Amino acid sequence: MTLPDTLPKCLVTGYQKYGDGHTALRKKDRGIWRSYSWEDSHKQVQNLTLGLIHLGLQRGDKVCIVGDNDPQYIWAQIAVQAGGGVAVGVFTDSTPPEIQFIVEHSDATFVFAKDQEQCDKLLEIKSQIPKVRGVIYWDDKGLWGYDDPWLISFDRVQELGQEQQAREPDRFDSEIALGKGTDVAIYCYTSGTMGVPKGAMISHANLLAGSDLAVAVDPRSEHHDYLSFLPPAWITENVLGLAIHLRTGMIVNFPEAPETVQENIREVAPYWLLFSARLWESMVALVQVKMTESTWINRLLYRWFMPVGYKVATLRYEQRTRIGLHWRILHALGEIAVFQPLRDKLGLTRVLSAYSSGAALNPDVVRFFRAIGVNIKQLYGSTEAQTHTLHIGDDVRFESVGVPPPGMEIRIAEDGEILVHGPSVFIGYYKLPEQTEHAIEIDENGKRWFRTGDAGYVSDDGHLIYLDRMKDMIALASGEKYSPQYIEGRLKFSPYIRDVMTIGGAEKGFVTALINIDFNSVGRWAERRGLSYTTFVDLSQKKEVYALIRQDVAGVNATLPPAARVRRFVLLHKEFDPDEAELTRTRKLKRGILSDRYQDMIAAMYGDEDEVRVRAAVKYRDGREGIIETTVRVETLVEEDLPK
Amino acid sequence: MNPKDTQLSVRNVNLSFGGTQALVNLGFDVRQGEILAIIGPNGAGKTSLLNCLNRFYKVESGSIQFEGYDLTKIAPHRIAGLGIARTFQNIALYTGLSTLDNLMAARHIHMHSGLLQSLIYWGFAHREDISHRMVVEEIIDFLEMEHIRRSIVGSLPYGLRKRVELGRALAMEPRLLLLDEPMTGMNLEEKEDMARFILDLHERQKTTILLIEHDMGLVMDIADRVVVLDFGVKIAEGSPQEIREDQQVIKAYLGEAR
Repeated sequence: MTLPDTLPKCLVTGYQKYGDGHTALRKKDRGIWRSYSWEDSHKQVQNLTLGLIHLGLQRGDKVCIVGDNDPQYIWAQIAVQAGGGVAVGVFTDSTPPEIQFIVEHSDATFVFAKDQEQCDKLLEIKSQIPKVRGVIYWDDKGLWGYDDPWLISFDRVQELGQEQQAREPDRFDSEIALGKGTDVAIYCYTSGTMGVPKGAMISHANLLAGSDLAVAVDPRSEHHDYLSFLPPAWITENVLGLAIHLRTGMIVNFPEAPETVQENIREVAPYWLLFSARLWESMVALVQVKMTESTWINRLLYRWFMPVGYKVATLRYEQRTRIGLHWRILHALGEIAVFQPLRDKLGLTRVLSAYSSGAALNPDVVRFFRAIGVNIKQLYGSTEAQTHTLHIGDDVRFESVGVPPPGMEIRIAEDGEILVHGPSVFIGYYKLPEQTEHAIEIDENGKRWFRTGDAGYVSDDGHLIYLDRMKDMIALASGEKYSPQYIEGRLKFSPYIRDVMTIGGAEKGFVTALINIDFNSVGRWAERRGLSYTTFVDLSQKKEVYALIRQDVAGVNATLPPAARVRRFVLLHKEFDPDEAELTRTRKLKRGILSDRYQDMIAAMYGDEDEVRVRAAVKYRDGREGIIETTVRVETLVEEDLPK
Repeated sequence: MNPKDTQLSVRNVNLSFGGTQALVNLGFDVRQGEILAIIGPNGAGKTSLLNCLNRFYKVESGSIQFEGYDLTKIAPHRIAGLGIARTFQNIALYTGLSTLDNLMAARHIHMHSGLLQSLIYWGFAHREDISHRMVVEEIIDFLEMEHIRRSIVGSLPYGLRKRVELGRALAMEPRLLLLDEPMTGMNLEEKEDMARFILDLHERQKTTILLIEHDMGLVMDIADRVVVLDFGVKIAEGSPQEIREDQQVIKAYLGEAR
């Protein structure tokens, strides 16, 4: 038997397989989790599809959906597709002009709008979107008094569908049978940091391929629970939620409200999670805050067992060695006392794979979750090609974004751009043939490669290293490019380095760095070695400290292509300080001011000197100004410094 | 009862504290299903009036008729049972209990199981608890409080506590809702939310709402009629439009026109 090739066909197959006997979707409503069976889903979609057809939906029509994660969202989307239409997700926080843009650009004929808030936005732009024949809402709260016939309730559409069903009992099945895998299923409008949003056309085949790739890496079945909380207009939720649900029967749970997600995660304890790096970081912060407010016994257990967790995690994941018996016993105790309860609070008790996407995750955050028994993996992808790479199994590295899942291919173009090929690469941008042509490269074998616009390289063991957006890369005199953000980010992973600014650019032959040591951790390191020091200036210029930092720089260099390696660095005699306008309040570097203030050192690094005299004006906290006069050493790294 | 029928009628009410006359011969009607706002400068007697309505204060003379009952002759603890609920200017909730428990507590006037039945918590008492919980859950949904259902009220920010208090008043399923400055101390977004809830409530449940509020803009937006007090005396009554143009009101409340 061949697998169904469209999402609506998957729904019918699931309905035939599970009928009324298995939960398909769950939604928390009025404080209670309510289940919907496959039969419920099938019935809802059937009535909606026929209702839409009754209202005039034609094959090939586009229908926008703007709403939160609800079963109704999924039903609406499958119903549109069953009727041969394309579903266009719109983010709920869009402003009326943003909605207007997408509705106009996609030529939508109907809009599903969840509630009063969204309906109000549409009413505001009603006169500008004459092609829209009706707006269908599924939460009637506050809409009782509206009498615009343009607004139609979800229930009303379903009634119309039932009437249609009585007239044409075979219509629903015949419409579904007309669908093909190559049909466009959804338009995903990319947020577009510059210029207007682009509508990426994604076919049923793309979505189902994305689902199959994900399931090949992390198997899922109808016994697994998933919590749908990523924006449903986003490609990720379409693939990892909807497509996998329809493909494997995985149960999709919907949170009660956007604000209750954290609580609902705990109740559902999903098997699979994807958070942004930021969210993982905020979870760690939350645990730390809650811990300080907890009872003394909890705090004591936390203080005892967290170091055990860290130790065992380091042995297991970083040193990859056998774990001694006494560590295993301690770890088992910690599991009962701290790790399991913590995972429970965070809703991570059943998680099989936890992913982070977006920015690179701080290793401290990764270490924290490893210590409590959750190995967070990186996932790198795009709207246009879905998952490019991810960490598979236990093969997790801080510096990489993983490897392509089986079936996907990664290639680095000559200019360093990451190209992706595979069954999930999209069809193109709607109504933008030029941009589509630019985004897709067809090689001599006829393979379609998506140009990601990201720079990266593949390490010797096949892991992809993501550097930066192509446009943020900086060229050296030789024309070779490097990413300042990436190098600085990696260097800051060292516990001994607090801030770094790399220097390079078209006039320079190589990369150098101004480094701020972390006074606390370097200070503690020095104390453990019996190394005496007086002030920050003194500590920063110790020979031993230079050797320590040199090791870390060499370690990072080893992961970088030769042109991007840091050849010389200085350890600054003082910390970068927001009060002196060297950093923003959020601790971002002010590069212009820094290059100007430390020009002597920069000149020294690109000259022959091994040290440089500095006289720097400093402002003390009490407002006084003083002058620090000292000698700062310049350290040079050579190829032999690379660890073998 | 038909809309536009008088639900509450205040006649010749006088109240004084020592030598200060808080309310002077005050009289007005509240019609079934309307939103009536009472406005006036600080110390105009607005809160005193609410306190008379639910018998926190005893009026010296005059009558207050609510659906055929004379409230001045009814014991304070029976007022809620008649279908009058209120919120307070300085929130009065059980701060140590959760939102859910605060709302459930307000259901007591509708509860019928005895002590013994409740102790055994089986059969009738159990079923009754479930039916009350359903009412409370509807209110939680209506006021969008799902995320704070289990939160201890004392730990909630001010704007949310105001919402819980409104929820508790609604849990009594009142026919007349007295709101004492429901929007003070809120930011614009919270005020707009609260205004939306009040309007939805008015539209959906047809609950009569008597509202005291400082924020003139909001009052003018949501009220059907406005009564203006100044030093315990009613100086105007009418639609928001009429009030906006009333010279005496402008003088007393909005300041002397220059």
